[in-house]
Amino acid sequence: MSTASVATTSSGYLLVLAVMWPVIGILLSFVVSGRQIERLAWIVLPVGLVIAGATLIAVTQAGQSQIYVVGNWAPPLGIALRADGISVAMMMATAIVICVTGVFAHGEFSQPPGGPEERAPVVFWVLLFAIWSALNALVLGSDLFNLYVALELLTFAAVPLVCLKGKKETVEAALRYMLFALIGSVLYLLGAAMIYGAYGTLDIRLLSERGHAEPATLIAASLMTIGLLAKTALVPLHLWLPPAHAGAPAPGSAMLSALVVKGSFFVIIRIWFDAMPDLLSFRAAQLLGALGAAAILLGSVLALRQQRLKLLIAYSTIAQIGYLFFVFPLAAGLATGVAWSGIAWTASWLQLFSHAFAKAAMFMAAGLIAEALGHDRIAELGGIGRKLPITMLAFALSGLSLVGVPPSGGFSAKWLLLLATVMEGQWWWAVVIVLGGLLAGGYIFMVLGRLLASPTEVPALQAPVSRWRECAALSLAICAVLLGIWPLQSSDFLFIGR
Amino acid sequence: MNSATLFGFCSAAIVGLGLFGLIVSPHPLRRILAFNLLGSGVFLFFGVVARRGAAAGLGADPVPQALVITGIVVAFSATALAVALVLRLFALTDEAAPTSEADPKAGAEGGHS
Amino acid sequence: MTAGTVLASSFIVPLFMLVAALGQRTRERLSDLLPFAPLPALLAALVVPDGTIVVLPRSLLGITLSLDKPGAMLLGAASLLWIAGGIYARQMLQDAARAVRFAIWWLTTLSGSLGVFIAADMIGFYFFYTLVSLAAYGLVAYDETAATRRASTIYVALALLGEAFLLMAFVLLAAATPGNSLLISDAVAALRSSPWRDITMLLIVLGFGLKIGLVPLHVWMPLTYSAAPIPAAAVLSGAAVKAGVIGLIRFLPFDVSLAGWSEVLMVLGFVSAFYGVAIGLAQTNPKAVLAYSSVSQMGLLAAVLGMGLGSGSRAALLPVAFYAVHHMLAKGGLFLALGAAAARRGSALLVLVPTVVLALALAGLPFTGGQLAKMAIKDPLGDGVASVLAQISAIGSALLMLHFLYLFRAGIAEAPADRPSAAAVVAWLMMVFAALALPWFLFPTLDGASRADAFTLQELWGAAWPILIGGLLAALLWRWRTRLPRIPEGDVLFIAERCAPTVSRLGAAFERADGVLRQWPIASMCVALLVVLTALALAMPA
Repeated sequence: MSTASVATTSSGYLLVLAVMWPVIGILLSFVVSGRQIERLAWIVLPVGLVIAGATLIAVTQAGQSQIYVVGNWAPPLGIALRADGISVAMMMATAIVICVTGVFAHGEFSQPPGGPEERAPVVFWVLLFAIWSALNALVLGSDLFNLYVALELLTFAAVPLVCLKGKKETVEAALRYMLFALIGSVLYLLGAAMIYGAYGTLDIRLLSERGHAEPATLIAASLMTIGLLAKTALVPLHLWLPPAHAGAPAPGSAMLSALVVKGSFFVIIRIWFDAMPDLLSFRAAQLLGALGAAAILLGSVLALRQQRLKLLIAYSTIAQIGYLFFVFPLAAGLATGVAWSGIAWTASWLQLFSHAFAKAAMFMAAGLIAEALGHDRIAELGGIGRKLPITMLAFALSGLSLVGVPPSGGFSAKWLLLLATVMEGQWWWAVVIVLGGLLAGGYIFMVLGRLLASPTEVPALQAPVSRWRECAALSLAICAVLLGIWPLQSSDFLFIGR
Repeated sequence: MNSATLFGFCSAAIVGLGLFGLIVSPHPLRRILAFNLLGSGVFLFFGVVARRGAAAGLGADPVPQALVITGIVVAFSATALAVALVLRLFALTDEAAPTSEADPKAGAEGGHS
Repeated sequence: MTAGTVLASSFIVPLFMLVAALGQRTRERLSDLLPFAPLPALLAALVVPDGTIVVLPRSLLGITLSLDKPGAMLLGAASLLWIAGGIYARQMLQDAARAVRFAIWWLTTLSGSLGVFIAADMIGFYFFYTLVSLAAYGLVAYDETAATRRASTIYVALALLGEAFLLMAFVLLAAATPGNSLLISDAVAALRSSPWRDITMLLIVLGFGLKIGLVPLHVWMPLTYSAAPIPAAAVLSGAAVKAGVIGLIRFLPFDVSLAGWSEVLMVLGFVSAFYGVAIGLAQTNPKAVLAYSSVSQMGLLAAVLGMGLGSGSRAALLPVAFYAVHHMLAKGGLFLALGAAAARRGSALLVLVPTVVLALALAGLPFTGGQLAKMAIKDPLGDGVASVLAQISAIGSALLMLHFLYLFRAGIAEAPADRPSAAAVVAWLMMVFAALALPWFLFPTLDGASRADAFTLQELWGAAWPILIGGLLAALLWRWRTRLPRIPEGDVLFIAERCAPTVSRLGAAFERADGVLRQWPIASMCVALLVVLTALALAMPA
């Protein structure tokens, strides 16, 4: 494709809107009073959802990428926003999770009536808008430096979420997260500098035409990849995740686990499947897959051994991230058009989306349980299922999706992933996938058994739980289940713009 | 050895030092400083890239310079946020002594408390 | 299309009842619905013509349903058992604190249990199989004692393991099927030429073997049936286990003879058939004896399927389904008899006589459905060693059932005064009647079988002598009854439980590894190391 053909498409303005609309929300929140900010969110969230939906429809109908060339300066000098199949899918999932999180946060992050204005609610809503904007910029960015900026915005919005409640452990967790993410950022930036030095451009399209295997490129690529792994918390770079995700308030954990770690993963995908599609060697793909396998095993076993519910869910996130990395060994043939690579590709995205919905629902359910009981010790959860049936249903449905029980997005993802391992002849991943499902079954049933048990004295609820918030968690769990309707084959939609 | 190569080596050295500092320093503040050192090395590297790309006759390739400026802004905000967190942490622990080894155990405790 | 609707309603109606339970008023009366939930399935088994195929819309996962003769037979019998169980459970749940929860698990298990008999595609089959396997957890865990907790934990662990085996097997089948078809028939047809044929077969045998309790994968059965409340034990031992039988019927490639696999199934089957009897004799809990009898009976079925697999024909399938139907009804009736006996303590004899008949029917008592069942599987077993072994196993069954009857009678004498329950007796009588009568109706549908054959002297004697020998052996054993060893329920389970500390140590090792990796210097060193490794991996050609 020549550079001249890059021009703004008819629906390109939607992409700008998608990035800027939450920013407008942020700017307005500095203007309105703290009490108004939640009302502001009631406008920002649905409109943002509509924008994401409109983009999705536009891309689906056009059957090709929608592009917006900023200031009409074509790359490499200018920058472009580009929405292909995977980016609009990410946008849509982000919009859904963010909107439901907004509903869920109502009450927890509302200004107390009558009393003095609090800071945490204001900060929360601003961070929510910021995460949304950063994620949209991230999935729409089409040049490596833009992606860097979006990634940093995402990190800066995510870190304060961890310590919103201001407790000492959470501040420690946030600092740890921040510093480790910064290592990742610097490595990424260094890699980007090397790429620019070698090719004189950071535009992903142009790189895919120019890129070739030379030492500088390979070193740059590995620097960027590992930098991003640090932000994705792939084992062994997961030190920050358990305290951060378990320490954050429930709506924060939901966004961190469901969306933020997926952001950096998305950039890794951009690098290896868009910018340098031919350079991923068999060994490197196997290395990434092996790290994913280690994550599944370590995360699942550790989840089984946790005594606190939120930590269990955080370790489960570590495990579930591992599945995403099988896309590298299994879909490596995508560039050369190997037929079944499409299956692995579809499977990985299904896994990403179903995990996003299921994990957000699960963190919300755990948050409600912790709020109701005043603790989240698994051993003492007995009987809470009877008090909070909807919460328990949300936990159960999302848990079953994680285990891979049909019908659920988790099952479809696992089925397709296993199919791809068989087709590719890489059965060793299948063993890990099946084992991971077993271990996940173990920790989900461990918790479900507790929730379902009815001890002689049912614990008293320390605080009333709002039905709305329970339904918010349930709706996301249902989203994860509904993804199971997706046809069990390679999806054309995820190939739009490839 | 021309100047670009010399600066290139310098930037590599600074990156190495920064990385070393990040790995071995136990204290958050030192880690933030190490991160800044590391960042400076990377920015210097951008300068080298700009200088090398200027062979076409321009004084220097303007794009890396634009990137560096953005990068510096980002690194500055990152530093500000990290320092704010450190300050907050010290306020909560009542330990002003910047030599205390607060961090590695913190994660472990956060994991079990 | 109406036939399709009726067929689909057999699993949709129970699931719809679950959805309706979201409403407060339905939820409070949910247990009243239990006896009615299986009615659509019964209707489908009666009226839907053989060979009906229906593809559900995508919103229902695009599941394909079909009804063939073995499926219809099992579907009808299973729905009868679920109705009887539902009648009993409804009574049991009156005023029970956990009634709603039990009813929810019941309906979920039920829809899965009935769905497996009519699913024609792998995703649908896996869906129903998962429902019946995992939801049974809630039925087992109902009583919330230490024993039920242990049983339900072991059950769910093994159920998940079975699910994992089957998931992999189905994926391998799908991978070997040309095109995008997920139909079971297409997949099994392609299995012969599949490059992963043997591993697929292994996974199928392991997965379904776990469900039907092939030794040594049977350990969950005695624990589960002892722990579950009576109606749950009845439907689990009768109907839910048959998910494994239908699985073997559907997924084994009977059109071709597979070298080796027929022998594997036969050996596993006969080992289970005898092992179940031997360990069952060392049990003191009547529920556990019935469970070991299931191990033995299902083992025999596996052996018959193994013979069928060796002959390369589908002729064995209908007899196997027929045998399974009889076992389902009789075993369900025996479990319900335990409840009926407690309810009718005053007239013990009235309960005892039908129970004796039902118990010995499992060993092939003349004039019962059991005799017909044994006759049905005679052809597939042939005249060789297998036939002899089957007859010996019938002796074993007779012996085991006499042991059960001894415990049963002792149990009636000692039973605590329970609330007399008409429903328990009705449910039990329904199963006794079904177990004795239904096989006579179904028998002529088998190829080349007629009821008249059953009354020839040769057949009657053939059915009677194993029971007589069993009786003689029982009399001999009676003298040594105090010296019989007592083996805990779940026998070889203790080996697995002995490994628990090792597993726990392994988990602790993972935890230590995590602790090390999560130290800052280690993690940041890992970053540097991974950069180098990745660069090297990228640079090295494959």
